[in-house]
Amino acid sequence: MITRRSILALMAASTLARPAFAAAINDEPEALRDAVRAGKLPPMRERLPQVPRVISLEGPDLAPGRTGGKIRILVGNQRDIRYMPIYSYCRLIGFDRDFNFQPDILRDFEVERDRIFTLHLRPGHRWSDGSPFTAEDFRYVWDDMFHNKELHKGGMPNVLRVADKEPVFEVLDPVTVRYSWDDPNPDFLAELASPVATRLMQPSAYLKQFHPSYQTPEKLAELVAQQGVEDWVALHQKMSRSARPENPDLPTLDPWRNTTPPPSGYFVFERNPYFHRVDQNGQQLPYADTVTLSVGSGDLISAKTAAGESDLQLNNIDFSDYTFLKGAEERGVIKVDLWKRTQGSRTALIPNLNCTDLVWRNVFRDVRVRRALSLAINRDEINKAVFFGLGQPSANTVLPDSPLFKTRYRDAWAAFDPDQANALLDEVGLKRESPRGQRLLPDGRLCNLIIETTAETSYETDVLELVTDYFWRIGFRIFTHVAHRELFRQRIVNGETIMALWWGLDNGVPTADMSPRELAPTSNDQIQWPLWGLHELSGGGDGRPPETDEARMLLDLFHRWRLADTLEGRTAIWHQMLELFTQQVFTIGIVNSVLQPVAKNRRLRNVPEQALFGFDPTSYLGVYMPDTFWFEGDT
Amino acid sequence: MLRYILWRIAMMVPTLIMISILVFTIIELPPGDFFESHIEEMRAIGEKADMEEIEDLKARYGFDKPAPLRYIDWVTKFAMGDFGYSFEYRMPVADVVGDRVWLTVLVSTVTITLTWLIAFPIGIYSATHKYSWGDYGFTLLGLLGIAVPNFILALVMMYFANIWFGTSIGHLMDPSYINEPMSLAKFKSILEHLWIPVLIISTAGTAGMVRRVRANLMDELHKQYVMTARAKGLHPFRTLMKYPFRMSLNFFISDIGSILPSIISGAEITAVVLSLETTGPMLIRALQNQDMYLAGSFLMFLAILTVIGVLVSDIALAILDPRIRLQGGRTK
Repeated sequence: MITRRSILALMAASTLARPAFAAAINDEPEALRDAVRAGKLPPMRERLPQVPRVISLEGPDLAPGRTGGKIRILVGNQRDIRYMPIYSYCRLIGFDRDFNFQPDILRDFEVERDRIFTLHLRPGHRWSDGSPFTAEDFRYVWDDMFHNKELHKGGMPNVLRVADKEPVFEVLDPVTVRYSWDDPNPDFLAELASPVATRLMQPSAYLKQFHPSYQTPEKLAELVAQQGVEDWVALHQKMSRSARPENPDLPTLDPWRNTTPPPSGYFVFERNPYFHRVDQNGQQLPYADTVTLSVGSGDLISAKTAAGESDLQLNNIDFSDYTFLKGAEERGVIKVDLWKRTQGSRTALIPNLNCTDLVWRNVFRDVRVRRALSLAINRDEINKAVFFGLGQPSANTVLPDSPLFKTRYRDAWAAFDPDQANALLDEVGLKRESPRGQRLLPDGRLCNLIIETTAETSYETDVLELVTDYFWRIGFRIFTHVAHRELFRQRIVNGETIMALWWGLDNGVPTADMSPRELAPTSNDQIQWPLWGLHELSGGGDGRPPETDEARMLLDLFHRWRLADTLEGRTAIWHQMLELFTQQVFTIGIVNSVLQPVAKNRRLRNVPEQALFGFDPTSYLGVYMPDTFWFEGDT
Repeated sequence: MLRYILWRIAMMVPTLIMISILVFTIIELPPGDFFESHIEEMRAIGEKADMEEIEDLKARYGFDKPAPLRYIDWVTKFAMGDFGYSFEYRMPVADVVGDRVWLTVLVSTVTITLTWLIAFPIGIYSATHKYSWGDYGFTLLGLLGIAVPNFILALVMMYFANIWFGTSIGHLMDPSYINEPMSLAKFKSILEHLWIPVLIISTAGTAGMVRRVRANLMDELHKQYVMTARAKGLHPFRTLMKYPFRMSLNFFISDIGSILPSIISGAEITAVVLSLETTGPMLIRALQNQDMYLAGSFLMFLAILTVIGVLVSDIALAILDPRIRLQGGRTK
């Protein structure tokens, strides 16, 4: 437990550490020099928190750089400005490149028995408008937002509840807050570090003007009318939205702040003069002054990237654009690297164990059928034909980059063995009686399997084309049904879909501290058991409880993981769950470790050449800290 | 005449009510609503949907109420000038459309003018020199213009504009000018980008128009009054312009009805391909996302403009060609 005295000691230590920075700290970013000289902004030393976060840029492809320049990014849609808080990745606690927890906005944190979380802020830390960032900003969210019946009708966000109980929140001093639960909450840190984290703090000094507890009714009514919203709740929501930074006035802690109100086709994010990170020379980050997002048709993004109109492009380009982008590399200003996607499987066939067709449902609930379908797929050929042999044939499971990886999980029922597949199906009793050798379902219908897909990338149809042949060899005929994503999802939840082609686990590189919720029925977006997931998600109010032993066991293990209070305990449960999940072949993974092209301006430094690409846990780019990217040569 | 016009204007009200019912029904038809597609899209990038805000929006905009009630709500508000709320942009529809209207009007007016400027001389030439090499040449060009889909032409032209002139791909101006107020540099940037969409959108229109001018004019050329005029020694060009050409313009005047709405909606597909900052792509997105007030209000605007346009062209026709009887069947 940290006392006021130790904070004072730390503060003293930080002032002692100052002189090391003193020489370089005067190096104001050019974009801010005029404002500092004119007295509109305090000098860098006073803008930084007393203990800034020092990022050491040392390594084979890392180097400290210099400030200035503009990073241009293309997006397919105006609402894609939501990528910015994800790319920026400023969290109370974040992951480092190896997925260890790292205090980021926080100076430090302490965890006692996974129950009591004490968070220490950086003294002197400020929001981008210069207002102080203190425990008051946490209290405001806790008292005036979470506990306001109008703002949060459902009460506290679900992630903060453990066994349906809220934590106790305390403000220990202006830079220390504490959340304590009666039961362990191992998810808490991972939740804070997640790409779209629950916001425990908001710029209260700014937001109080939109809150009836702090604002006169007359002024509030005026603001409501001015913003064209219905009431103060909508006003507060609109002005405080941080996942989509649409309000240029909302102070932020991120490296860049939006300066463009929507609607617009071009968003300009300017540097936050109060950002809390510095490089090892004491130079305040971010290096780049500006990040711009320009909105255009999503289909044009690879063409525009090739024409050098983007300085950093990850989204809206895919591996199928790689050869084209690589060709542009030779004549243009871009350089293209390949990162590895973190999904457990790039494409996976997923039987719906909750489908309304009783016959198919019972067939799929037989593990031998799921194994047979998996054995019938020639993953190697798909990998070569569709992914240029650059992926890894695998069941839907964690990638070798995860500490939880075992070859056993990767290879579980993933070999190509049509004979064994046929033998398994014979054993189940799916007879091959049609004249053309097609199998019959127990009720005498032909085994015509309709696979639904959204066909959003060309892979889906290419893979299905190949799977058609493989499945014909085991007596299944495939029909493909393409639907828009919304309809596709709806059909799955309604049980109209028998089998879908989708992707595998979102997070293929978990550590034992990350939640294994994707392996158990915990959500209604899980295609293999949407109703069982819904049951858990809704706290038993909706859907159906799991109806097979293995699914029940997975859910039980997941609950036990949440109560496990040691790393060993959590690791053991993860392995039990992975073993069960892969042996039961609930989802039929095909290829993972597929590559993702990342195009960047040739002069942009510190962008890793090889990295992991995914939403969770890397926040696409976030853990590689775009605030440390800088332009070599003229800006 | 005045009575006719008043009658027509009175008829516009029930017409528009019918149209509004149709628009509303069609937007309601696909399963799900904006919120479902919104949640799906958030999931697509792995983001958690802000369920609470969505529930709140649903209740606020009456999505828990039955469709007829929502229809009445929408229509009455629309009539009073409140065009509703765009869920996609989370702001009032009127604010969303904003500047885009002016850019769209710019693109469309330039395109339509260019179409006329090219099509009329060619059409007249083709009709008066029928079956000549020139006629065949223009016919071939015209057929090519109709046959090549606009979006392919757009892609090809964009590629070459980028390679040869270094014009940034798509858009109506360099992205850095998008939020800027109008200035000389911005205007130059717009001009630099404008010619591609204008040329593309006008190709198809030109080709169709040439054929219609040619056909209509040829019908007139051999009529007796033309021969009489010529026989009396009127200058051939004057003859052509004053009589047969004027008569052949009927089709053109009746087109006005469709020109008005196309000025604000423009060529949607081409605009999508070129990422133009016009209203067309916005309408298409709104329809895809079931952002229903945005889509609905937009379609209603188009409907109103069409109805007005048809009225204008009817009146213009009557003025142009006295043979046309406004009373229709009644005089027989």
